[in-house]
Order: sequence, then structure tokens, then C-alpha cells
Amino acid sequence: MGDVALSVRGLRLYYGTRKGVVRAVDNVSFDLRRGETLAVVGESGCGKSSLARAIIRLLPRNVHTYEGQIILDGQDVMKLSDEEFRRSVQWTRISMVFQGAQNSLNPVLKVGFQIAEPLMIHKGMPKEEALAEARKYLRMVGVHESFADRYPFELSGGMKQRAVIAMALIARPQVVILDEPTSALDVITQANIMNLLKTIRSEWGLSYIFITHDIALSSELADKVAVMYAGQIVELAGADEFYTNPQHPYAQKLMASVPSLRADKKLEFIPGAPPSLINPPPGCRFHPRCPYAMDVCRRQEPPEVEVKSGHVVKCWLYAKGG
Amino acid sequence: MAGEALLRVENLSKWFEVRRGLLAPPLTLRAVDGVNFELARGEAVSLVGESGSGKTTLGKTVLRLYEPTSGRIVFKGKDVTKLDGKELLWYRRETGLVQQDPYGAMPSFMTVYRILEEPLIIHKVGTREERREMVFKALEEVRLTPVEDFAFKYPHMLSGGQLQRVAIARALILRPSFVVADEPVSMLDASVRVEILTLMRELQEKLGISFIYITHDLSTTRYFSERIFIMYAGHIVEKAPSKELVREPLHPYSQALINAIPDPDPENRKRLRNVPPGEPPSLINPPPGCRFHPRCPYAMDVCRRQEPPEVEVKSGHVVKCWLYAKG
Ligand SMILES: Nc1ncnc2c1ncn2[C@@H]1O[C@H](COP(=O)(O)OP(=O)(O)OP(=O)(O)O)[C@@H](O)[C@H]1O
Ligand SMILES: Nc1ncnc2c1ncn2[C@@H]1O[C@H](COP(=O)(O)OP(=O)(O)OP(=O)(O)O)[C@@H](O)[C@H]1O
Ligand code: SF4
Ligand SMILES: [Mg+2]
Ligand SMILES: [Mg+2]
Repeated sequence: MGDVALSVRGLRLYYGTRKGVVRAVDNVSFDLRRGETLAVVGESGCGKSSLARAIIRLLPRNVHTYEGQIILDGQDVMKLSDEEFRRSVQWTRISMVFQGAQNSLNPVLKVGFQIAEPLMIHKGMPKEEALAEARKYLRMVGVHESFADRYPFELSGGMKQRAVIAMALIARPQVVILDEPTSALDVITQANIMNLLKTIRSEWGLSYIFITHDIALSSELADKVAVMYAGQIVELAGADEFYTNPQHPYAQKLMASVPSLRADKKLEFIPGAPPSLINPPPGCRFHPRCPYAMDVCRRQEPPEVEVKSGHVVKCWLYAKGG
Repeated sequence: MAGEALLRVENLSKWFEVRRGLLAPPLTLRAVDGVNFELARGEAVSLVGESGSGKTTLGKTVLRLYEPTSGRIVFKGKDVTKLDGKELLWYRRETGLVQQDPYGAMPSFMTVYRILEEPLIIHKVGTREERREMVFKALEEVRLTPVEDFAFKYPHMLSGGQLQRVAIARALILRPSFVVADEPVSMLDASVRVEILTLMRELQEKLGISFIYITHDLSTTRYFSERIFIMYAGHIVEKAPSKELVREPLHPYSQALINAIPDPDPENRKRLRNVPPGEPPSLINPPPGCRFHPRCPYAMDVCRRQEPPEVEVKSGHVVKCWLYAKG
């Protein structure tokens, strides 16, 4: 695993709504090395998809705040205009498989054409050439190339998901964001897609940002794991450490709620519900549900503490003199 | 299996007629095809299978919400396959369903109170006052407290987990002896899932209800049920005690299913999973012989020609596969 491919610093994405400002991504930072996979895990609504949209700059209309640094190969691409970003970054250097993408394929366009679109739009490639590429990529993801001439309804769920992956790969990006890439699929199809993603990663040296609410599944790809809670990363650790020894109280509770098929393990759950992102609790956002909450936790936002090299925990329990 | 059987299902089938166009002749879709099982009093069984394998259809047919195409359902020693009128009402009162989609299953214009009171009114249970007490008690049981706060809310004001508690309370309010819970937690986060399943299990044990818990998530099943049934393309292909099935699956399809499921483990990223390619077959023209044979790594000649028998390999462990047939 080589140098840093993507570095995110202090990223914020807030939405404006009638009820107030939704702080969906609130001061998020991480590094992603070449060939490395970062898994982003957390409960529904914690801001995972918002983080993805902020990185690839596909934003809804009601953005309130969008700031921070996104450094791609040493270049801060946040400084680019929308037009420049679309031309030189989107899809060609960072691409994405969207949550529920297999259901968002355009029903009236042939599958091959849809896979080829990024080449035509972002690389200005002539149609015939792009369509030939699309067939090649379809074959690569394990779908017979004759399906290029079919419509989405003629493909099974698993085949559609493969087609969407081909679309994300076709412009040869270095970083691919996978937002719940298998959430609507059966477990055997899911395992087949995971096998495909592993094979492609090792052949190409790609970096993935793998977003999922399924902790067990995250371990299929993760070299390191970011746990998100209420818009923030509360723990960031290497896979070997995280899955055996998570440190943040929320991460520990979350792990304790994951059933194990093979090991005898007691299941626990976290009482209460995640907070509103409009008025998050002061101090640590997890304090109302945390069994260890101290006075300082209710008053002051915890610092990010590096408990070991490359293992960061945002919690007062680990702060020196705290 | 402990105790006497509460429910016995024999060779049960539910076929649907489907049309591909207005003038096209109807085709037969064999959603459930020759299923056999027994359920003991107070026993919880998980019914596991991929999308479209027939889990919901089986659950609804056993509850007589669908007319069986053929076969027999015996409940408390009584043949309920063809009951109607008053006697069917009795069976309805003895059974309950937690529906797959809680948002779709709850009338949006009714308060939680009305939703829970309705089954009591239909079955003419109690006076107004007594019903009120029962509704409040039901809310307390599923821990929607303070009950006065929740009783007069509408479904859209509740979180997914809270709504699922209402669905469970509704299924239990008539004190049935048999309940089908169809994917009761599949739309919820891991932690809420555990919370709801734990609650359901507590109530099931406390009230001595027999349960069929339908799910596609095999990893939760051994925590919440005594036995597991694995369903594939309209057939139950394996029945075994939960821990045994997970530790030692015998049917090639069950083995594939278990191989496909990760536990959280950093070693996972370093290896590929051994799973069969392909997807489940059409139920309109299912493959002849064993329905899994096109994907099965062990398929033999007989598998392509003849439907496999159900073989009891060990006491209480039944597999529908030629690999285990004697001779
Ligand atoms: N355009 C928007 N305007 C206002 N609020 C939004 C918008 N998009 C998302 N949100 C809110 O922002 C929060 C984060 O949403 P996001 O989709 O990023 O969560 P997520 O972690 O991806 O959830 P899931 O696991 O359910 O996909 C949620 O509270 C959501 O309701
Ligand atoms: N009312 C119906 N009419 C026609 N076909 C039906 C009907 N209900 C179900 N089917 C078909 O029967 C098969 C089994 O469906 P069923 O809903 O029982 O599966 P399931 O295992 O519950 O799937 P899921 O996990 O997606 O809920 C499917 O092919 C489905 O399309
Ligand atoms: S009957 Fe034959 S094809 Fe079917 S699962 Fe057994 S070995 Fe495989
Ligand atoms: Mg999302
Ligand atoms: Mg179903």
C-alpha cells in the first residue's frame, strides 16, 4: 500500500431545511492510501451518503454549508469550479456506485449505452468507441456482453448491480465510492459481488470508500474502518484493531449488536435512538446514550485522540488529563 | 422437538396463476410446492431463504390468508385446511401475523390505539373499558411507554423500531397460540434489530406462543429460534436444530448460504468466498429433479431427473437431497 490517494480535511456538508440546518457531515477528516479500502459504517441517517456526495460533489439544491479540503493526488480539488470539477475529477478520478443504483438505471436506455455514458460525457469519447469499451467492461464484471443490447428490466438484480459497477469503473478512476453496493441483493449474490470487488481491487490497485450499515459485511473489504455517529467520525482504525478491539463506546456497543453466525457471542443493543442532526446534543453527541458519560462529555466536544499510530478515537475517556 | 405438535403441515402447496399479457394463457407459478413440517407448542422456528423463495406465501397459506392449492394443515388436532365461516374466525383468533412491510400494513389514518383495538372489536372481546385496559397493557408489553404518549400517535409519527413494536403488539393482543412474523426487523439497524428480536423472543417464551420467524438473515436466527428451516425455490430443503444447522449444514444450498455470510473478521478481506454462481430459478418453469441442481457443485445424474426425497439424516435433521438418500 503506497502513498496517499485522497486526503479529506475538515469536510462539512450542511443542508438548509425549514426546521433548521441539518449538519449531515460535520468536520470529517481521513486519509486513503492507494490500493486501500476505507469502510464507513454507522446507523441509518448518520451521514454516510452525505459524506459520499460531498466527496464527489453531487449535491442537492438545499446545501447550506459546503467546505473543507479534498486533496486528490496532492491537489485540493475543492478549489476547482463546478465546471472544472465535473470535467477533470468527477467519474474520471473519483467515481461512485450509488445507494440503490440498480433501481435507478434508466428503463428506456440500453444497458451498454448507460455504461458507456461516462466516457462520452466526461472523456468526450466518440459513441462507437465508448460502446465497445462498455462491452469489454461488462464482460470484466462477469456479465455476458450481449446484455449490452438489453434493457435493465431484462437483467436480474445481481446483473444490474454488476452493470452499475462497470459504469463506475469504465473511466478508470483511482478512487471508487461504493454506497451500500449490495443492500437489496440476496446473500449469495452479495458474496459474488464482494468477490468481484476484491478481484478488481487487487488487479488494479484501486482505492475504495465502502459505505455500509452492515458491520460484518464491512470486514469483507475494509483495510481500515471509520465509524460515523451523527455526522462525525468517532473512531478511525485499522481493520485488525477495529474488528477485534474497538475503542469508542459507541463503536463497542455497535459491535456488540452484530450477530455472529459462527461464534457464541451474547447480543446487546444500544438503548435510545441517534440524535437529531439539527440540534445535536452539546459536548459529545453520544453522551445521552453512553454508559461512561462524564461531566465534561455533556459540556465540551471531545478531541480526536490518537490512541495508537493510525487509530483515532473522538472520546474524552482517552484524552490525557481528561 | 419438544412436546406435542401444535401445527402439522402436510404436502402443502400454493400455486398462483399468472398472466404475461391479456390474451396470453395463464401460467402456473409454484410458489410453495409440497412442504411438510411440524411445530411444537411454544416452539420458535426460523424460515430462511432468498427473496422469492416462497417464505411469505408459505406463512400466509399456513395462516389461511391464502387458499392452499393442495395439502393439509392440522392445528390443535383439527384439520383447518378447508375451514370457513365461524370456524375460520376461530382459527384467525388463534393465530397472528406480523407483516413484512410495517409502513404498508398500518392504516395511516388510525391512531395506535385504534390499530390495537380493532382486532378486539372484530372478535367482540370485552367492553370498551376492558378493551382500553388491554390496549394499554399491550403497549406496556412492547415497552412503548409512557403508554399515554404512544396510544394516540399516528404511524407516521413513529420510528421504524417503534412501528414494529406496534405490529407485534397487534399480533399478540388476542393471545394467539401461533404467530408468523414476516421479516419483522429487516428494515431496521443492527442495534434496533436486536432490541426488537429480544423483545419478541421474551414475549414468545412468556406467553408460550409458537412462532415462525421469516427472515433472509441467517445470522440472527440461532439467537431467536430453536430450529431453522431453509427454503429454496418453493421447497423446504433442510430442517434442523438452529445451532446444528449453522455448524453443520448438510444441504448443498444451505452450505452455500452459510459460506456467503460473513462474521465481522479482518481476515475476510484477504480471501474470496466459496459460493455458487447464478441465481434462483423461475418458479413458473422450475428445473426438473432437484431445483438446486443447476447451481449445485455435487449434482449427479439423478438430481437432474427426479425430485429428491426428504431424508432424516439424524434425529430431527431432515434434508431434501439425493446425496443423503440410501441405495
Ligand atoms: N437534501 C437533504 N436535505 C435535508 N436533509 C437531508 C438531505 N439529504 C439527507 N438529509 C438528512 O441528512 C442526514 C444524513 O443522511 P444520509 O443520507 O447521509 O444518511 P446515511 O447515513 O446515508 O443513511 P442510510 O444508512 O439510511 O442511507 C439524515 O438525517 C437525512 O435525513
Ligand atoms: N399474489 C401473488 N400472485 C402471483 N405470484 C405471487 C403472489 N405472491 C407471491 N407470488 C410469487 O411467488 C413467489 C414467492 O413469493 P414470496 O413473496 O412468497 O417470496 P418470499 O420468499 O417471501 O420473498 P421476499 O424475501 O422477497 O419477501 C415469487 O415468485 C412471487 O413473485
Ligand atoms: S439433490 Fe443433487 S443437485 Fe440437489 S442439492 Fe442434492 S446433490 Fe445437489
Ligand atoms: Mg445512505
Ligand atoms: Mg416475503
